[in-house]
Amino acid sequence: MLFNSFHFLFFFITVTVLYFALPYNRRWLLLLISSCYFYMAFVPIYILILGFTIVIDYFAGIYIENAQGRRKKLFLIISLIANIGVLAVFKYYNFFIDNLSVLLKGFALDNPLPYLNILLPIGLSFHTFQAMSYTIEVYRGHQKAERHFGIYSLYVMFYPQLVAGPIERPQNLLHQFREKYDFDYERVSQGLKLMLWGFVKKLVIADRLAIYVNAVYNNPGQHHGMTLIVATIFFAIQIYCDFSGYSDIAIGAAKVMGFKLMTNFNRPYFSRNISEFWKRWHISLSTWFKDYMYISLGGNKVSIPRWYFNLFIVFLISGLWHGANWTYIIWGALNGFYLVFAIVSKDFRDKINKVSGLAKYPALFRIVQMLTTFVLCCFAWIFFRANSVTDAFTIIKQIPDFNTPLYIENPSIMMYSLMAIGLLFLVEYKNEFHKTTFTFFNNENWVVRYLSYAFLVILIILMGVFDGGEFIYFQF
Amino acid sequence: MSTFSNYMNNSNPLKRFFFKLFLLFIIIFLIDFSIGKTLAYFYFKQDSGQLFRTTYALEKTTEDILIFGSSRANHHYHPTVIEERLHLSYYNVGRDGNYLFYHYAILQGILKRYSPKLIVLDFMEEDFKASQDSYDRISSLLPYYKTHPEIQSTVLLKSPFERLKLISSIYPYNSSLFTIAVGNMEFNKGRNVEVKGYVPLTKKWNRSLQPISEVLPYELDSIKIKTFEAFLQDCNKSKVKVIVVASPYFKNSKQADYSIQKAIKIAEENNVMFFDYSRDPYFINNPGLFADIAHLNDDGAKIFTNKLLEDLQILEASKEP
Repeated sequence: MLFNSFHFLFFFITVTVLYFALPYNRRWLLLLISSCYFYMAFVPIYILILGFTIVIDYFAGIYIENAQGRRKKLFLIISLIANIGVLAVFKYYNFFIDNLSVLLKGFALDNPLPYLNILLPIGLSFHTFQAMSYTIEVYRGHQKAERHFGIYSLYVMFYPQLVAGPIERPQNLLHQFREKYDFDYERVSQGLKLMLWGFVKKLVIADRLAIYVNAVYNNPGQHHGMTLIVATIFFAIQIYCDFSGYSDIAIGAAKVMGFKLMTNFNRPYFSRNISEFWKRWHISLSTWFKDYMYISLGGNKVSIPRWYFNLFIVFLISGLWHGANWTYIIWGALNGFYLVFAIVSKDFRDKINKVSGLAKYPALFRIVQMLTTFVLCCFAWIFFRANSVTDAFTIIKQIPDFNTPLYIENPSIMMYSLMAIGLLFLVEYKNEFHKTTFTFFNNENWVVRYLSYAFLVILIILMGVFDGGEFIYFQF
Repeated sequence: MSTFSNYMNNSNPLKRFFFKLFLLFIIIFLIDFSIGKTLAYFYFKQDSGQLFRTTYALEKTTEDILIFGSSRANHHYHPTVIEERLHLSYYNVGRDGNYLFYHYAILQGILKRYSPKLIVLDFMEEDFKASQDSYDRISSLLPYYKTHPEIQSTVLLKSPFERLKLISSIYPYNSSLFTIAVGNMEFNKGRNVEVKGYVPLTKKWNRSLQPISEVLPYELDSIKIKTFEAFLQDCNKSKVKVIVVASPYFKNSKQADYSIQKAIKIAEENNVMFFDYSRDPYFINNPGLFADIAHLNDDGAKIFTNKLLEDLQILEASKEP
């Protein structure tokens, strides 16, 4: 079920009303049933995959808690193998076969392994990672094993964050299913406002920009210079609004019922360097990789070359997490390279900033840093969005050609896109630098408040793209 | 106002929530109604451009010959050639980026008012292909939903929630703000050369023919097939002569596209003439008659229209007893 559908609107209203109408001790059951329904709206049979990992991890959690030493580790490994195994089969198997075929072809050999004709279960990487975080936390002793099978299933399947996160930790989410949440006007209102802004991000901004981005990125050979630059900037904003819009709707929907999910985005394009960008972008995934992989590899408490390796490999795997395609792997590697390069070149860059005198003008310095970070991100996004590595290199090769005019097939699409970007910039700028000066949504004057809500609803009806389709991150 | 705020803040949270929600709905409804009515006024005030042509097609056409189809219909059927050779009046009701559902809805609007002497339906490759896009494009008809009951069943194919969405007065004009604004400006009239709905293209295609492309099978949409059948049957019932034409493409294919093959059969079953020029060698050997691989330019349109009329006359003559 898509958040940006009427189907979801009816689903959300029904579930929320029933949630508050039911006694506290029955609410978990309602949420579990509704989450199953939500998931089965995509490909019903795939609930069995989810069921498989839930059963394994539920028992693994209990066995890990009860076991000691090597046995404890063994149960953790079984759980990890089951989860990674599911990912490997459904997400990476055909990619592996593809590459194996190319490799064997080099030796004039045929690939003996068949392709699997299967669809990728929606949000597989999200709920698998959330499930893994549970068994790892139980193993580390940070979380007690959940004995209630229904509550544990709900932890993996909670519908607002089931298919595209935020990827929660058990310490934050599990106990909330036992809390008694009453109808709280302020909380419900805040949740709905967040959802409304999420819908604006998705329908008015992301899906609008997608029209231009798709037209250019699906025919990269036909476009040059300015067109490719504009399409890449549009994609940077599209993916931010698409994904953070989803997160806003998820966090808002959970908040209406009383649940507090973790923040997933914090205005990342105002970051002054790539390291800061990754503290503001897809926070639930970045912290997952940090907590369970980077630190396990030794983090920065190792030799310097090993530290660089740790950073690089974590981002490389983060790229692979996004999709079984070399474009994502290169995207991850580029981000890893940016981070390592930033550390290696820090002294040199400090000297340049001193010599140029830029550091004397903090506002200007900040703008230069933000723009540099944005340009680096955009360059990496080329690989993320391109349909193939060949397409990505075609784009990079053709960007310096400014002899062709900007492609505008439909001027009104460009106008809507620019208006949408303008609106996003104003809101993000205000929230970043003038958070408390003036608020529309939380204004003391109810007229201002109501007109601002109405404005966004009208904006969606007037300028929203209702046929935009899925959220980009669903495919991961 | 502060008394109101105090009252609301002190009342039962659930009561307060629903009251405020109700208030919000009233505000949204009033704004939606005002903006929607303003947009409707300016939408129907246009007297040129694509949106105007849809209004004209549905509500005002009286011409003898009507051309139906997408952008290919707009660019391929030359009005002067048709009017001079047949001595009948012409209008092109084709619309760029719109498919069978749109054509059928326009036909329903027209047949309700009068019976043209000849209808030419330009049929495209992949016209029966299952794709969501064709359903999304039904949005072109939304401004007419409330005033044209005959097209409502077609509009409702767009989504199961269309009726609900259409409670909003703005929704039928979603994403049309700039187009409506431009359509009401004076300079718009000189923007596109247009003759009775026909839009001539002047570019000349100068790239060589791509290698022969395989015709790959694809899933057919039964609703689209039924719509096509209904189009032909409605014309037959109203005793309107209809012909279906697959106009030229500048591409090499081993066989006719699957939709065209299927459409030929359906046309035959309904005693409707089908003219397939989609792989006509004359056009494939003359790239200069095209503006791009799917559209003839003005020169190409003249030649094609003449060829079609000749073939039509020959075929009709052969059928005469």
